[in-house]
Amino acid sequence: MPKLKIDGLEIEVERGTKVIEAAARLGIIIPRFCFHPGLGPVGACRVCAVKFEEGPVKGVQMSCMTDAQDGMVVSTTDEEAADFRKHVIEWLMMNHPHDCPVCDEGGHCLLQDLTVAGGHGIRRYLGKKRTYNDQYLGVFVQHEMNRCIQCWRCRRFYQEFAGYRDLGALQIAHHTYFGRATDGQLESPFSGNIIDICPTGVYTDKPSRFTGRRWDFERGPSLCIHCSLGCHIITSARYREMTRLEARFSESVNGYFICDRGRYGFYYTNHPERPRRARIRTEEVSLDQAIQTAAQKIIQINQKNGPKAIACLGSARSCVENQAMLIRFCRVQGWNEPTYFETPTMAKKVKRAVARLDEQLAVSMREIEKADFILAVGADPVNEAPMLALAMRQAFRNEATIVVIDPRPVFLPFEFEHLPVAPDDLEPCLTALIKGAVHRSAAEKMGEEALRFYDTAPAEYPDAPIKNRMVKITQKLRQSRYPVIICGTSIVRETTPDVAADSALLLRAARGRAGLFYLMSEANTFGAALLSSEEGSVMDVVESIEKGSVKGLMLVESDPFRSFPDYERLKQAVDKLDLFLVMDYLPSFAARLAHLFFPTQTLFEMETSFVNQEGRVQFATSAYRGGIPISQISAGGHPLRVFRRDIPGGESQPAWQILAKLANIISLPGREMFSLSKNELWSWIAKEYPIFANVPIADELPDDVRVHLAQGREKLFPSGGQIRSGGLSRENSTLELVMGDWTFGTEELSTYSKYLQQVEKEPCLFMSPKDASMLGLKDRERITLPLDKGRLEMELRIVDTMAPGVIVMPKHRQLAWQKIEKWPVKVAMGQIRK
Amino acid sequence: MVCAGTGCVSCGSLQLRERLEAELKDRGLADEVKVVITGCNGFCAEGPIMVVYPEGIFYKKLTPEDVPFLVEEHFLKGRPVQKFLYTGPIVKEKVPLLKDIPFFEHQVLRALRNRGLIDAENIDEYIARDGYAALSKVLSSMKPEEVIQEVKTSGLRGRGGAGFPTGQKWEEGRRYDSFPKFVICNGDEGDPGAFMDRSVLEADPHSVLEGITICGYAIDAHQGYVYVRAEYPLAIHRLNIAIEQARNYGLLGKDILGSGFDFDIGIYPGAGAFVCGESTALMYSLEGKRGMPRIKPPRSTEAGLWSQPTVLNNVETFANVPPILLKGGQWFASLGTEGSKGTKVFALTGTVQNVGLIEVPMGTTLRKIVFDIGGGISDKREFKAIQIGGPSGACLPSSLLDLEVDFDSLDDAGAMMGSGGLVAMNDSTCMVDTARFFTDFSVDESCGKCVPCRVGLKVMLNILNRITTGQGTMEDIDLLEQLGKHIKSSSHCGLGKSAPNPVLSTIRYFRNEYEAHIKEKRCPALVCTSLIKFRVDPEKCKMCGLCKKACPMEAITWEKKTPAVINVEKCIRCRSCIQACKFTAIE
Repeated sequence: MPKLKIDGLEIEVERGTKVIEAAARLGIIIPRFCFHPGLGPVGACRVCAVKFEEGPVKGVQMSCMTDAQDGMVVSTTDEEAADFRKHVIEWLMMNHPHDCPVCDEGGHCLLQDLTVAGGHGIRRYLGKKRTYNDQYLGVFVQHEMNRCIQCWRCRRFYQEFAGYRDLGALQIAHHTYFGRATDGQLESPFSGNIIDICPTGVYTDKPSRFTGRRWDFERGPSLCIHCSLGCHIITSARYREMTRLEARFSESVNGYFICDRGRYGFYYTNHPERPRRARIRTEEVSLDQAIQTAAQKIIQINQKNGPKAIACLGSARSCVENQAMLIRFCRVQGWNEPTYFETPTMAKKVKRAVARLDEQLAVSMREIEKADFILAVGADPVNEAPMLALAMRQAFRNEATIVVIDPRPVFLPFEFEHLPVAPDDLEPCLTALIKGAVHRSAAEKMGEEALRFYDTAPAEYPDAPIKNRMVKITQKLRQSRYPVIICGTSIVRETTPDVAADSALLLRAARGRAGLFYLMSEANTFGAALLSSEEGSVMDVVESIEKGSVKGLMLVESDPFRSFPDYERLKQAVDKLDLFLVMDYLPSFAARLAHLFFPTQTLFEMETSFVNQEGRVQFATSAYRGGIPISQISAGGHPLRVFRRDIPGGESQPAWQILAKLANIISLPGREMFSLSKNELWSWIAKEYPIFANVPIADELPDDVRVHLAQGREKLFPSGGQIRSGGLSRENSTLELVMGDWTFGTEELSTYSKYLQQVEKEPCLFMSPKDASMLGLKDRERITLPLDKGRLEMELRIVDTMAPGVIVMPKHRQLAWQKIEKWPVKVAMGQIRK
Repeated sequence: MVCAGTGCVSCGSLQLRERLEAELKDRGLADEVKVVITGCNGFCAEGPIMVVYPEGIFYKKLTPEDVPFLVEEHFLKGRPVQKFLYTGPIVKEKVPLLKDIPFFEHQVLRALRNRGLIDAENIDEYIARDGYAALSKVLSSMKPEEVIQEVKTSGLRGRGGAGFPTGQKWEEGRRYDSFPKFVICNGDEGDPGAFMDRSVLEADPHSVLEGITICGYAIDAHQGYVYVRAEYPLAIHRLNIAIEQARNYGLLGKDILGSGFDFDIGIYPGAGAFVCGESTALMYSLEGKRGMPRIKPPRSTEAGLWSQPTVLNNVETFANVPPILLKGGQWFASLGTEGSKGTKVFALTGTVQNVGLIEVPMGTTLRKIVFDIGGGISDKREFKAIQIGGPSGACLPSSLLDLEVDFDSLDDAGAMMGSGGLVAMNDSTCMVDTARFFTDFSVDESCGKCVPCRVGLKVMLNILNRITTGQGTMEDIDLLEQLGKHIKSSSHCGLGKSAPNPVLSTIRYFRNEYEAHIKEKRCPALVCTSLIKFRVDPEKCKMCGLCKKACPMEAITWEKKTPAVINVEKCIRCRSCIQACKFTAIE
């Protein structure tokens, strides 16, 4: 490892480390504009010049382009180098408009900092500044090209790192322009990152424009909860309003970037209709009053119908504290354990995935970037968990082979092999690939169960075109050094998570190293699966209400009306209830129907933790104290002239604290009393769930603590002998309905964001050309889709990148799709009409 | 032999040929006289050109109307037609034979060995002059290592401008063990006033293809590309024909000459950016990306086109390769100087008598090029400077006329070989304006990637604009020097590193002109219009009236025997009168 000296300090770094990075490790921040640790060097800005005094390189050179080498002696303060940098900054400021007072970047602008730091003050050259026309870049990004210093970060991120082409460099020389060919919404779902990385104010955050300077905001580290990945973010709040989100660097999760769903999804927090007061039916009351009333009702039902007559639904978007407290609550009251999943199948899938993940197999997104072969099964990364697509793209840029087995018309911002097969064929397709690449002897060494799995798994995929394409893929897989399997949990069958885990084990045995990465539906799905021991589902609860055995229902940050397949049935069940109690921060449909409503706090108002899909326990601090945004009650006046003791709309409390208060009232004498201390709750969690015992609580923000159940105790290869041959499920007369996610428009919280609503695409139905031609349907025709309990009208899109025998539709906010009796849905072909 | 280089074609050589063929047919000479269309003859100033063999009689500036008389006199009566012959510049005598014309006499043709002698669209004519003999020799009896050794022995250095040793580059290309590898021929010739590559490609495309194929064999590549300016349609047309012919003859494609070696060549027309002449930018452009230089290392020989080992050489470099392998590296190295072997092709333009394409041994003095080959400065003007190397090069004054031109001597003089443009300038050229012109070119052609070139050059241009409009100050000269120094040291690629050369060299050698512009608000060469008074000096005026005729605005009043007067209100400062006046009476 090369050892060098920078400004008199010695440091040893890995081979290939650039001098600018080596210096950063010593705490010496060499000026930079074009260099970004997430994007690497490009050598455009020339402002990182340092003097190489001794060693293999001599003189003033760019520290971002020079590898650290043995014997280098580097000075960052050398007069010649400083003079060089000063000139470069002077040139950059030649054309900069100096409009800092009206620029949102002002105050945290790299150009501002370095101009002052570099000592440039007085303009020595005459001449006009070059000017540009700005473009409309859509809802998120404000463009102001005159400020540009041509560092190329935006283009490098947008095109090279993220793989989208609609924003780039146009023109040459001093006319070089960064933008689109024409005005329009940026197409990339990662577009907001160019705001973060722009070293000056060319791209600024449009929704939060002119809302304050960096130092005006309450800022803090937090987590993104708009998918299961748990990306790290920084929050900014001002005047009781969540104003802006930025990416926060995370070594193992998201790196330097986040997606636009994460960046602009948070507006549910400020939603003007967000319920902020407790209610009894339609009457607003104080929180304490509501708790008292709820306690009485609960006691009544418990006395009359017994402890099992009240059911609880939690949700996978709730934090660990809320989920744990709800479970603790039910246990203490002797109720049935709360339910977190819509259907039994979903519960089983997620639980199997959680059960199978162990320390050796689980990989982080950063590790996915290093894989040389990625096999995704039943996963649609851009739509389900956008940042995963970026991680996969980095693997692709390192020449990894990427294969996706999925019936949906999967798009990824890079070249990949797509094997579009029906949901029933995902498993045989996967095992055929694995068997093609792993020799039987590898299974033999792993024991009898592995061998049984290997021998009984289908070795061939019957569909000829797909089978032919698999030959080349298996060849690549056979040569891979680090294969990773990504397995979705939304559209796959119950057994698929197990098959994926077993396949990963076989690959590891054959290739020496392999990884496994599950995708889950929501931010804390992993936590819910880990904490809840019941296998129950919303479906079971609805049945119990219909049978009359359940009289009361308590929803904790859960809106089954959004996700339960049969809206009518659910509504009728809820109408039958004696008690319908809802705790939430969303203006959800369930909240409107509630007999008793309790306003809870969002992630940004409380200290919370979530477990992401790889079992990583992560913490978020509160950004601000909550309350109704001043902008919503000041009628445009500023600042607010009314002074009062409390925070308007600040009654919301963390759901777990409301639960604790409620429990303390209804608990019979002698039963355990709940504390409102978070530490106490965590010690309960650690006691009940020993795998959490090592989690340090909220003192700091660790991002390397993972909780895994398996620890080698789990039975391996349980799916041996169960995988059916592929291609058999095809019935010519019916089409299977697969419901998927879209980047914008399907994830619960972000659908409340007024900005994301503007970029949602209208829902449509995807069909393969083969099926469409059989039905005589044309692309972009409006069609009617019959469902069990009604029909849906929407546009048809014919795409050749999806499986025949399947129709695909998003669980879209704008689509009242909840007319389904039960999964899976088969639609008779003849009934789809124009 | 009728020249069909771009220059002669634009003067009507194709019509000439048509008429000639018709005339010969009418007179029943069609079977005895063969009309051959050749690539550029080189002596473009005298086009359209025709050379009659076996004697080698050189006819100049022919028109179709001249043809009947010429055929009558020359082909029927056997008398060379005096009035179409070339007249010597100093001793005013007719020079009938091409080889005796001073323009050709001092040249040594290696890269241009077939110019004016073969039909570029006929592979047989190339083969008849030892074409593809080198390839055949290489494939049948030489190992790749031996090929590289021979090229190293020759001391051939890249003709694209930087002069990197070709053999060493090939050796590196061979060393890396990653396949496929590529060979690229750089024909993106963008310097103003340079047309060497174009002429080679138009006159002798097979020599380039042969050189590329030999390089492919040497480094174990199987695919070559010629990246050529889209502004060279004739070169592209002839390359396409040549590639097709070579494929038909088994000289490209699978199993070349039965040797088992596969190689093919594709053509990629550039999109018009000067910077794409830079090797890494060219490769990006070839990949379909924006042409911008990238960080080196890795060098292209390690990771070039599509990140694979790639050897990129200039058109002229490849054209030099076949004779080296046929006649040996020693033969090639016998000409030239210590550090620069062989010959160099220059496009000699500007205010010399004999504008054209020349090839001289390395180490030939500028004086010989300008005065012996170029025939001296035209229009009885004085030699002032010679610009070498285009926007990357420099303007050298008469005191450096005895400089022996090679890579290293030019470097010492603050100039650069560049790809080989030579622009001679007489005393009516303003050096400040010349520097401004080249800086303007570089400002427009900067790729926009790095700051010094993109912004710094623009600042230099602003200052030069001020000076040429009389708003300069003496501090501006210091600023220009400082800026130039910083841009040279801080730019990323060769374009930026060399772009200040025109300014720095003119300040170095012609500082007095800058001072005249600034202190006296005067342009000595009467080029910078803002500094011209547009006044007729009655003392100098010979009352000839030429200025009045030249004026497009009727702003000049003149009557016989009175000095002319310019009406400043009508004058649009077009300089027509200055150019028309033979007595420098207008100031």
